[in-house]
Amino acid sequence: MTSLDLTRRRFLINTGWTAVGITALSACSSIMPVLPTQNEPELGDGYAWVQLLPGGQARFFAPRMEMGQGASIGLTQVVAEEMNLAASSVACIAPATSQVPAFKMTAGSEGIDEFFGPVSHAAANLREHLRRLAALKFNINSAGIADETGGFRVKGGKFVSYGELAPVDGKIISVSENEGEDQPRRYALERRGRHKSIGSTEPDPNLAHMVTGKAQFSRDASLPGMAFGGSLMPPVSGAELKNADAAAAGSMPGVIKVVIEPSHNLAGIVAKTPHQMRAALGAIKPEWHLPENITDNPGDRIRDFWSQIPRDFEHDLISDGDVDDLSETSITGSGQFETSFQSHAAMEPRAGLAWVRDEKVEVWCGTQAPFFIQRRIAQILGRDEDDVILHPMRMGGGFGGRVLCQPAETAALLSRAAKRPVKVQWTREDEFRGNYFQPPYFHKIDAAVFEDGSISRWRHDFASAPIFFGIDAIPKIARPILDRLADEGTARGATPPYRAANKLVRYSDIRLPVSTGAWRGLGAAPNSFAIESIMDQLARNAGIDPIQFRIKNLETQHIRLAQVMRKAGDMAGWGRRMPTGSGLGMAAAVYKEKTYVAVVAEVTINHSGKTIEVPRVWCAQDCGLIVNPGFVEQQIIGNVVWGVGLALTEEVLFSGGAAETDNFDGYEIVRQENAPYVKTALIEPEGAPPVGAGEPAIAPTPAAIANAIFAASAKRVRKLPVRYDALFGNT
Amino acid sequence: MAANFKLNGKVFAIPPDLKDVTLVEYLRDHLGQTGTKFGCGIGSCGACTVHIDGQAERSCQTVLADIAGAQITTIEGLSFGGKLHPVQEAWITEQVPQCGYCQPGQIMTAAALQNENPNPNDQDIRDAMNGNLCRCGTYQKIRNAVRLAAGGQIK
Repeated sequence: MTSLDLTRRRFLINTGWTAVGITALSACSSIMPVLPTQNEPELGDGYAWVQLLPGGQARFFAPRMEMGQGASIGLTQVVAEEMNLAASSVACIAPATSQVPAFKMTAGSEGIDEFFGPVSHAAANLREHLRRLAALKFNINSAGIADETGGFRVKGGKFVSYGELAPVDGKIISVSENEGEDQPRRYALERRGRHKSIGSTEPDPNLAHMVTGKAQFSRDASLPGMAFGGSLMPPVSGAELKNADAAAAGSMPGVIKVVIEPSHNLAGIVAKTPHQMRAALGAIKPEWHLPENITDNPGDRIRDFWSQIPRDFEHDLISDGDVDDLSETSITGSGQFETSFQSHAAMEPRAGLAWVRDEKVEVWCGTQAPFFIQRRIAQILGRDEDDVILHPMRMGGGFGGRVLCQPAETAALLSRAAKRPVKVQWTREDEFRGNYFQPPYFHKIDAAVFEDGSISRWRHDFASAPIFFGIDAIPKIARPILDRLADEGTARGATPPYRAANKLVRYSDIRLPVSTGAWRGLGAAPNSFAIESIMDQLARNAGIDPIQFRIKNLETQHIRLAQVMRKAGDMAGWGRRMPTGSGLGMAAAVYKEKTYVAVVAEVTINHSGKTIEVPRVWCAQDCGLIVNPGFVEQQIIGNVVWGVGLALTEEVLFSGGAAETDNFDGYEIVRQENAPYVKTALIEPEGAPPVGAGEPAIAPTPAAIANAIFAASAKRVRKLPVRYDALFGNT
Repeated sequence: MAANFKLNGKVFAIPPDLKDVTLVEYLRDHLGQTGTKFGCGIGSCGACTVHIDGQAERSCQTVLADIAGAQITTIEGLSFGGKLHPVQEAWITEQVPQCGYCQPGQIMTAAALQNENPNPNDQDIRDAMNGNLCRCGTYQKIRNAVRLAAGGQIK
């Protein structure tokens, strides 16, 4: 890897590219597109997010988009902690793009990890600013002003509320970066063990609205005079609209506007009602230019690469020692592993409402990357970025799948043409066919163990598709450059947390004819499936308990993983005798080199019902300081449930290059009847900073299930999802 | 004579030209009652669950012609007299929702279960709630909340 010169580095920072971990780049930077990823927030960024309103209420513009993960709630607790307020006294607002400077997209379980610092810094500075105002008001030294809930206690015991310190002219109080202290006392950091708001399970402030149907998602947004829009989905990814005959559609009932714009790949209808819109859409006769060489399965390019021997891998992730040295090793473990295409399948099919006017463009949609969508819509409409205001809506699930909000872009084009507000609502089929997928993975691991139980050789080859750079929003012109980069999303979790005397990890990220992108945990679960299956195999071949074997081989910097493994094992009763046909399996992972997580899964093979069941899962996680234990627990359970689906049922099948699996009748996510009982434990080491909780537990879950299947049946799982018939035959 | 239906106690006429429109679309896109959610359109996910004459039904599989003379209750009409339904109360106590999108449908199914079976066991709950998908994976909390609403213990 080469180091970057400063000019190049500054360019990458400005476009957000450093944040995706690029360390080497070709010379053609001038054509690089703007990426959704922004840069990691800096300490001073928080000043724009924390304010005191004239009445004395704190307002927090949450720089994280809410989709149920609770990051905005956790950060509200951080504000509350610093300002000596109850979390319920801090108004948490999802800011429009016009209200705050651009911030990094909401992804990668970074909400608490990266934003805890800037938010606590700004809130602490606002508190100290208010303390100085109190000192001025009473003409005393600020050192003599003590904290009190919602204000201060000044000498003589008199209480002064924040509201009394607010200016009489009704101005909002905020601290600018120039005014702030570099190192204010930060209670969020200092008061560990004595926190008032941090560490408590504050509820979502929208809870009452969510149980009464009043919570507003993108699909629920409306405006007076709003019409309903829709557009034809290309028959396959990459199909380009040449022309369309819309003569019949234009005269159908309720149709307000027919919009045919091949330059935007758009054949759309604006109508008074959704059913009139759909009827007219069905009457358009499109002419598509199809990409060449369409194969049934868009994953064939990876399979073709994989079938070549020897394989010429693009990227060396780790190359340390000599994996071809086969001396002194007799205990080995090797195997090939495969995972499939998956879809996010969030419960809300996405929607967008747009109102394009001469003076400004307003968009309402739920997205993980509001500033990216703002810029994209400005670009599509040929408008200044400042003309476009995006109002972010609560997402009905995100999971990495809402970096784009395609219907909002369609709505913007249709609104411009129809000169009125237009809402576009994707169907479930659109959601499956129109978004990017988690790509399939092919792995081969060949490993060996010395007589003393330490790993001597670790050789891991894998191939998949790009995840950071695989979405079709990246312009074609930029793809050849990006295709030379090692996609770190694809490789997430591919660095094992274990020592080996000789290590080689190589991979290829092969662009597919369909869009591939971030899905919960990115590469972590598929990579962990292969790594942790082999760890289980090695432990058994070496005759060492799988937990002890992992602990023995842990990299020293990952020693925290030992504690979560022991804890998960203790909770599960690891080592106990299981009934015939049942087994316990364990797997562990370090997510993004920060969060430590171990899972024990119980599997029962039900031969009469021909099913593989996962009745119970135990998960221990160490994500440092816990801001909101309830939400962390919910995230763990959600990831475990998701991991069960990945292991046993979830797979998108294709036909003619398009997703054939396009609804919940074919795409089986976990249901109530097969949702395991999940027991969690949180480990919070002294002084460990808060890190991510939104994805880590998905990483080891499928591997733990696969290892439990082995414990129950002596069958090693090679391909996910694994169905009963694949392992035990159809008889 | 135009056919009518009752929605949360109020009488609505079925527009003759909309007889083939699904109830979920009519509620959301014509009446602006957006508490009922669209999820799949094929009756597979339960997000659109409402009560039709007291039974939990999929409003995406129901067209207006089907509900002539029927009483429809949606999530907006589940609470009465300014008081939340016990199932809604339990959902708040247990802090069930993550993203929250599927929860109106979950709650409507759970409320119908409570009417039919005031003391459901674990299997009853799993069976009754099996048609309601939740991608966030709140199933465990849902089971706990249903038990709580029935006056039972949380596991």
